[in-house]
Amino acid sequence: MAVVLEVEGLKKKYGSLEALKGISFKVEEGEIFGLIGPNGAGKTTTLRIIATLLTPSDGKVTFLGFDLKKHPEKFREKISYLPEEAGAYRNMKGIDYLNFMAKFYAKDEAEVREFVERAKRICGLGERLKDKVGTYSKGMTRKLLLARALMTKPALAILDEPTSGLDVINSLEVREMIKGFTREGVSVLLSSHNMLEVEFLSDRVALIDRGEILDSGTPQGLKEKYQASNLEIVFRSAVQ
Amino acid sequence: MKNFSHLLIKEIKELVNKQLVISLVFMLFIFNFIGNVTKSEIKKAMAKQKIAVLDLDKSEISKNIIGALNMANFIIEEKSGEKEQVVKELRSSGLDLLVVIPAGFGQEVSNFRPGEVETYSYLKGISMTGSRKSEIVKALLQTTNEFLSNEYLKKKLPDLDPKLLKAPIKSREFVVVRDRMAEGSTSAVIGSLYAQSFILPVILMMIIMYSSQMVITAIAMEKQNKTLETLLTVPISRTAVVMAKMLAAGIVGLLSAAIYMYGFRNAFSFNTGDIAKAMSGVAPILKQLGLTITTQGYALFGISLFLTILVALSLATILGVLAEDYRTAQSLTVPLVFLVLVPYFVSLFADINTMSLPAKILVLAIPFSHPFFAVQNIMFGHLNMLWLGIVYNFLFVVVMLYWTTKIFSTDRVLTMKLKWGKRKVVL
Ligand SMILES: Nc1ncnc2c1ncn2[C@@H]1O[C@H](COP(=O)(O)OP(=O)(O)OP(=O)(O)O)[C@@H](O)[C@H]1O
Ligand SMILES: [Mg+2]
Repeated sequence: MAVVLEVEGLKKKYGSLEALKGISFKVEEGEIFGLIGPNGAGKTTTLRIIATLLTPSDGKVTFLGFDLKKHPEKFREKISYLPEEAGAYRNMKGIDYLNFMAKFYAKDEAEVREFVERAKRICGLGERLKDKVGTYSKGMTRKLLLARALMTKPALAILDEPTSGLDVINSLEVREMIKGFTREGVSVLLSSHNMLEVEFLSDRVALIDRGEILDSGTPQGLKEKYQASNLEIVFRSAVQ
Repeated sequence: MKNFSHLLIKEIKELVNKQLVISLVFMLFIFNFIGNVTKSEIKKAMAKQKIAVLDLDKSEISKNIIGALNMANFIIEEKSGEKEQVVKELRSSGLDLLVVIPAGFGQEVSNFRPGEVETYSYLKGISMTGSRKSEIVKALLQTTNEFLSNEYLKKKLPDLDPKLLKAPIKSREFVVVRDRMAEGSTSAVIGSLYAQSFILPVILMMIIMYSSQMVITAIAMEKQNKTLETLLTVPISRTAVVMAKMLAAGIVGLLSAAIYMYGFRNAFSFNTGDIAKAMSGVAPILKQLGLTITTQGYALFGISLFLTILVALSLATILGVLAEDYRTAQSLTVPLVFLVLVPYFVSLFADINTMSLPAKILVLAIPFSHPFFAVQNIMFGHLNMLWLGIVYNFLFVVVMLYWTTKIFSTDRVLTMKLKWGKRKVVL
């Protein structure tokens, strides 16, 4: 399988704090790769670097053969990033927001319509798309943002805690949605501290703690290796 | 380019929100209200005024004085009776000025002894109309005095011109500006220049403050709504993101200032008539003195203003990045407002060219100062100072823009923080 994203020896310092101490992993085409780890492990930092928001202190990131330092614009063209805590313009209607974002990625009007149509299907907000974003609940906003991240069919979708703030039913829906999308050729890199969610979603996972990757592999493989019934127990054993 | 204009339109739409429209409409309303009140007050002052006159003398001279009052646009209500009685009576009437000519006034005056006229003003509040009335009466008595004194002199010294007797020195006034000279009154020249340019500092201040506030708000809102991270990952260069915000703020700021000014001028339009009248006499003198602004002058002023707006926008952009939310952004505009107020007040109440050197340097170190003094500098040929200002502001803009785009293309756009209250600054 072709490698979409390759991260090698990534380091990041915030002043004297070493948030990432040299992490490496690969995301292959059409797979869902999950970063799991506790609060402050460095998940968001890793994803922000790949999304061109932060500059790494050291290490190399390659996406579709392009180097992050030399071609950040290539990353922005083909990567969609859903931040951990994100909002949309409160004064815009949901549908206008989708239109606004689609125009940055589409090459013509027809493609804008295609993107927006897809987003409508993904978010399932229906008539509420005609209301201003300011009137949406947290879950509705999250779905809108997820739809906008997936509507362009990016080569890689980076989703930082995609289900944060969603209730059980909505989380389930969103997970199904993400899973469905990879079947259409989109690769996904996501983070979560909900191990069960990651276990359900991911083809492969990396366990991250205090800026280091402890172990990685398929959920099944890891469970067998640590002789555990779920990833939570795997994680506890890996930390020790 | 396509993406840039797309982003620009969104920025402008975000800025032209309910709050802006409401505040503009409110301002126009206030201006209109103040304008109308002032206008009607002035109309009252201009209209025929009613005053009361008690003539206890009934001589030829007292009749002349009443006639003159009549000519001076007053409606005379003649009273009769005891003086004390009339003074008391008027307390509860609508009239607020009483002129009393005592008995024997004509007799005294004819015999070259000072005759007394008494005026009683009834203050019923603080209004301009009341004081204007007594001013007019005073001026009138002054003229009557002049007339009578000329009569005396003619009688006593028939072969001499009374004008010459009273003013043996004749004066001619010249105004010199650099190598040009014209005959005319200095105070008229200054008055007319002032009348032409008094509005300019207000416009400048508003443009600078409006645009800065816009851009700070635009960035802070982006942070508060947590949309900045998403925006920074879309396929558009960081420079374009910054430029779109600054340009949008510049456009909306200029437009708001224009609407504001339009409302201001409209509400206080009676001024222009007076100014035009005062100007017509002075205009040729100004021209002779070279105190008019040429096309080149306007261009220089335009450059100065443009650079200053850029300085304001880039400074405000950095402040906006520092702000975590809308409220912090609002308080961050305070130092900017202060920096604009300094040249504003200096230009209104002081002359920058006669200030002490340290004070002058301090004022001119503020980039916003330069357009405030640009017109004066152009008119009076202080072109060195003008160019110095332009070069200074240009360098300032280059440095600031470089710094702003730098901040936007590194981590700092996300990690720079300043939260009011916690007083935490992380750069
Ligand atoms: N802007 C910043 N300045 C300083 N330190 C930071 C900054 N952002 C993150 N850190 C630090 O870097 C470390 C990793 O943070 P990060 O946000 O990547 O964790 P995370 O795995 O996403 O955690 P969570 O599950 O809570 O979202 C933490 O110790 C955090 O305090
Ligand atoms: Mg995180």
